[in-house]
Amino acid sequence: MVRARRQSAATRAAIHADLVNAARLAFAAVLLAVASATAGAADSALSQLDEQCLACHSSAGLEMKLANGDKLSLQVDAAAFAKSVHSAIGCAVCHASTSFENHPPVKTKIAGSREYSLAQTKVCESCHAPVFKQYEGSIHAALVRDGNPGAPICTDCHSPHAVMAKAAFDAASGAPCSNCHYPIYTAYAGSVHGQAAMACSSCHNAHDVSAAAKGDRLKSACLGCHQDALAAHKTWLPNAGRHFDAVSCPACHSPKAKRKVDLRLYDNAAQQRVAEKEGVPQFESRARLADAKGTGLDAMALQSLLRGFNQEGTDGKTTLRGRLEVSTGVEAHQLVRSAEAVRDCAKCHQQGADPFQSVTVSIVGADGRPVRYGAKPEVLNSIISVDSVGGFYAIGGTRIKLLDWLLALAVLGGIGAPLGHLTLNWLFKRYAKRIGGKEDS
Amino acid sequence: MPRIYVHPLPVRIWHWINALGFVAMIITGFQIRYIGLIDLMSFRTAVVVHDWIGFVLIGNFFIWLLFYLFSDKIRVYHPELSPMKHFRASFRQAMFYGYGIFKGEPNPHHVSVYQKFNSMQSMSYQVIMLLLVPLQFWTGVLLWDVKRFSGMIDLLGGVRVVDTAHVLIFIFFSGFIFMHIYLATLGHTRTAHIKSMLTGYEEIEEEHGGAK
Repeated sequence: MVRARRQSAATRAAIHADLVNAARLAFAAVLLAVASATAGAADSALSQLDEQCLACHSSAGLEMKLANGDKLSLQVDAAAFAKSVHSAIGCAVCHASTSFENHPPVKTKIAGSREYSLAQTKVCESCHAPVFKQYEGSIHAALVRDGNPGAPICTDCHSPHAVMAKAAFDAASGAPCSNCHYPIYTAYAGSVHGQAAMACSSCHNAHDVSAAAKGDRLKSACLGCHQDALAAHKTWLPNAGRHFDAVSCPACHSPKAKRKVDLRLYDNAAQQRVAEKEGVPQFESRARLADAKGTGLDAMALQSLLRGFNQEGTDGKTTLRGRLEVSTGVEAHQLVRSAEAVRDCAKCHQQGADPFQSVTVSIVGADGRPVRYGAKPEVLNSIISVDSVGGFYAIGGTRIKLLDWLLALAVLGGIGAPLGHLTLNWLFKRYAKRIGGKEDS
Repeated sequence: MPRIYVHPLPVRIWHWINALGFVAMIITGFQIRYIGLIDLMSFRTAVVVHDWIGFVLIGNFFIWLLFYLFSDKIRVYHPELSPMKHFRASFRQAMFYGYGIFKGEPNPHHVSVYQKFNSMQSMSYQVIMLLLVPLQFWTGVLLWDVKRFSGMIDLLGGVRVVDTAHVLIFIFFSGFIFMHIYLATLGHTRTAHIKSMLTGYEEIEEEHGGAK
């Protein structure tokens, strides 16, 4: 009976909430209609209602203290808002929860400015659903879900009261990306693409930004514009197709970058990189277990790690696919003109070459970013790795040392055996002559 | 000294193209693998030359194969089916090269039109020509365009596995070529076998054999 009473109370609360929401929506719709009509009549000037809001909210220093102590600025730059694309819809559409009854002051307690902005993303989604869906698949949204307080939400990139049209973005300033990625933007600004004033979104997309090391999207972005790149490389680069698969574009086109090898766990059955299962990360703990000394995975440890990933009914389908890439995001953005790119094969194809001195093994983390674990450079030159690192090999640079010894032995044997035979022949003849001479005497 | 015609023209053409090609493949192979240690040419030049000569050698292999498939000379490669007989003949031949030759004993193998190889040669050349050389060509073609043949390469365990097989055979040939040249000087004169591979005619020693 108690339960029935509780259920009935919950139902009444839900109905009440629905009614409140419906009323708010109706209020917003009316305001929108009025605002739109006024805006249309005044040719993008602010509506009377918006003017009323701004009468208070354009005052400098207007702010409120939030529950966590944050101060939320309530000031809106009226001129900027008037120029923004949202001036046409007016204040009330986004601030539908604010009604004449509860304002001012706002009776709802706001926990903090971040919490408020996060809650407001739902308002953005209500109109921009397709774009919001793209955003939800992005690395930015994944970081938000992980609780990263610095991860960008809508209002971090789109100034809430000065939302500009796409065409109005100033690509040269790098904003809003440069607000967080400033070192990368500085490097980019000096690159061949930065000097051509290409926007970050040209390669990274605006909303479905993915982790750089995930998938082939960035390579596809390069090839999207440089469509004849493969054909152009084929004219001088042997095995150009293989280079395109195993070498990232910046590895050659950012010539001053420090290069390294990332051995990626790859699921051959699913034809994609192995990813951590959400909530049950295993890669790092397995890598630590294999790397008992904690000095980086050696050839045996790497094999043991790989065996671990193949014990779960995957039937030996998990392999390692190596990729030569640059060490940092900054270096990845220092692209130069093609004439200045690395063309000297010996940069990689000789023993001790710089790219093979730094090796990591990686898996795709639950948020889409790679999770890496260090490996010793010897894994690329060990006979033990023939199987485990079967999918990565750079002639000369990652050659197996044991085969060098075998070759030396074969050549020495090939030269030594005839020399030994000739010597024996000479000794026999000398001996025979001496015996013959003695017999003669 | 009586002569018999043991090396028909197609075989001689194949042999000398093969000889020059293998030397070039070994030199460029060394250059590709050991750039920085050996700098006879650029890495790229070595790769391009290696690739082209490789294809010439593959074409050349078919001169050898087709000639022997479509002529009765294939009998020179017929294996000795009795293992005991083969073992005894090989042992006699090994004893000759390891000891008898120093004492001026005659070569236990007597060359004839259909038996130009001694038992050690016939066995080793079959392994070389029917196993190692095709395997080297195959792995070489796979490595020539890794992307194009990626399915096959993955099936074999990856590019490192294919390359290791290619390098192991390269190591064998790098040692073998010295032995081959030296053994070619162990006719009844130092140059007898080499001349016969140029003229086609092998001089037959009637009384005794061995190196001079």
